Amino acid sequence: MYMLYSLRLAVQSVWREKWINLLSILTIAAGLFMITLTFFSVYNIDLATKKLPEKFSMTLYLNDRVSEQDRGNIIAVLKKNSMVEHVKFISKDRAMEELRGVLKNADYVLEGIDENPLPASIELRLKHESVSISGVKKLAADIGKIKGIDEVEYGEQFLNSMHSIRTGAQTISMLMVVLMSTGIIFVCYSTVKIMFYRRKEEIETFKLLGATKGFIRAPFVIEGGMLGAGGGVVGMFGAIAFYYAFFYKLVLTMPILKVIVFPSEIFIALPFTGLLLGICGAVVALGRIRFS
Amino acid sequence: MIHFENVSKFYDHQTALRNITFSVEKGDMAFITGPSGAGKSTLLKIIYLSEKPDEGSITIADWELGKIKESSIPFLRRNIGVVFQDFRLLDNRNVFDNVAMALRIRGIGEYEVKERVMEILKTVNLRHKTDGFPKTLSGGEQQRVVIARAIVGEPTILLADEPTGNLDSDTAAGITRMFKDINAKGTTVIIATHNRESFRNTGRKVFRLDNGNLVGEEIG
Ligand SMILES: Nc1ncnc2c1ncn2[C@@H]1O[C@H](COP(=O)(O)OP(=O)(O)O)[C@@H](O)[C@H]1O
Ligand SMILES: [Mg+2]
Repeated sequence: MYMLYSLRLAVQSVWREKWINLLSILTIAAGLFMITLTFFSVYNIDLATKKLPEKFSMTLYLNDRVSEQDRGNIIAVLKKNSMVEHVKFISKDRAMEELRGVLKNADYVLEGIDENPLPASIELRLKHESVSISGVKKLAADIGKIKGIDEVEYGEQFLNSMHSIRTGAQTISMLMVVLMSTGIIFVCYSTVKIMFYRRKEEIETFKLLGATKGFIRAPFVIEGGMLGAGGGVVGMFGAIAFYYAFFYKLVLTMPILKVIVFPSEIFIALPFTGLLLGICGAVVALGRIRFS
Repeated sequence: MIHFENVSKFYDHQTALRNITFSVEKGDMAFITGPSGAGKSTLLKIIYLSEKPDEGSITIADWELGKIKESSIPFLRRNIGVVFQDFRLLDNRNVFDNVAMALRIRGIGEYEVKERVMEILKTVNLRHKTDGFPKTLSGGEQQRVVIARAIVGEPTILLADEPTGNLDSDTAAGITRMFKDINAKGTTVIIATHNRESFRNTGRKVFRLDNGNLVGEEIG
């Protein structure tokens, strides 16, 4: 096989055009670093919005005509639900008491009301560690269908905006990753294209001597891969530097940032991502090779 | 070994070859001659698949060129050594690497490459120029590097386009002798030349081209 020789040609070419190649590697590194930062941000937004707030609860307002037995059944069903952590019944009287407690000295506004207008309700605390936003919505919809329950109230708007932030961040990050990846492929594409044109004469001679397409392509594909992987390694060191600056400097001065995490597996993924994108760029740059 | 049947090649406003039919047998040494512009180079280019004929059919060994798959072209070319008129040496590589290229493209390992290249450089008397770069060599030396590169892969056919074109007569005679030696070892050799001295009294077949037509076949 000629792979060993192709590797030699690729190394020679990288060295001969070291300035162009260095520039490409730095550009690729910057792109990969941006991808890392994007990933870092989204990962944290994702973590922060994945779980429900700790004191998240749901209030179910009961119809006044619900019998005591039906109420008992409803509570029993709710207690069996796997999302529910705690069920608490609040009677009409208790609700009134609580309202008086809130109003304190202003309870004169209640004077003259004979019948208690407040409905009885059930307060649900959900298992915030395991229940997702969409889980809550589904639960609320299901509960709303139970006979005897008039209304389900939970921080719907709050949950919706949490959901929007989440999907927004995901969309932006996807765009960013696609954009940056395309950019990296393009950098490798252009660099390999330049190398290819500089060696056009030589390649013509190779063809006439009987070189296969594989022999002609291999050094360029290897070179593209080397540029990508090189950019990945530089980007990785950038990410590691960022990591230490963030967690060992910034977090010390602002402990509130302690909740932020960084999955360090991404470091090792960078050179491989670069390698893959570099090879893609090179393959696109070479296109079809013809002998006649 | 090589057979042309009614082959024509047209360039935009120029007929380079018209209805050429001829054969060269295995182990032969033959000359193609004629004035400048007669079509000699075009004929050789068609044999090594650098140009496609517009009409006619060509058979080389057992390959019919019109039916050959694109992916087979490299392997056919490895059977044909070419001494290009413009040399096509790689200026940024030394003599050794230029010759070695013909073997490296075949995927031959470096150890064998070194042995075979050194051997062939001895044959063409360039052992002392192994590390020299093409630009530092004389015309005759460059010509010998190209010949070495053409034969190092042991092709069955050797084509040479004006191999004595710019050389003094002594050097030219040396090159011609070299081709005879190569032919004596069994390689089919075809030489395109406008110089009568090359084939005078050789007793070899000479095909004469003029303005794209095959106008004569004689013995030199
Ligand atoms: N690439 C080309 N484009 C156009 N005309 C060409 C081309 N190559 C050769 N020709 C023409 O074809 C004719 C034969 O050329 P060539 O085979 O090089 O002749 P010779 O080698 O006998 O001097 C000439 O008239 C030449 O101008
Ligand atoms: Mg010519």
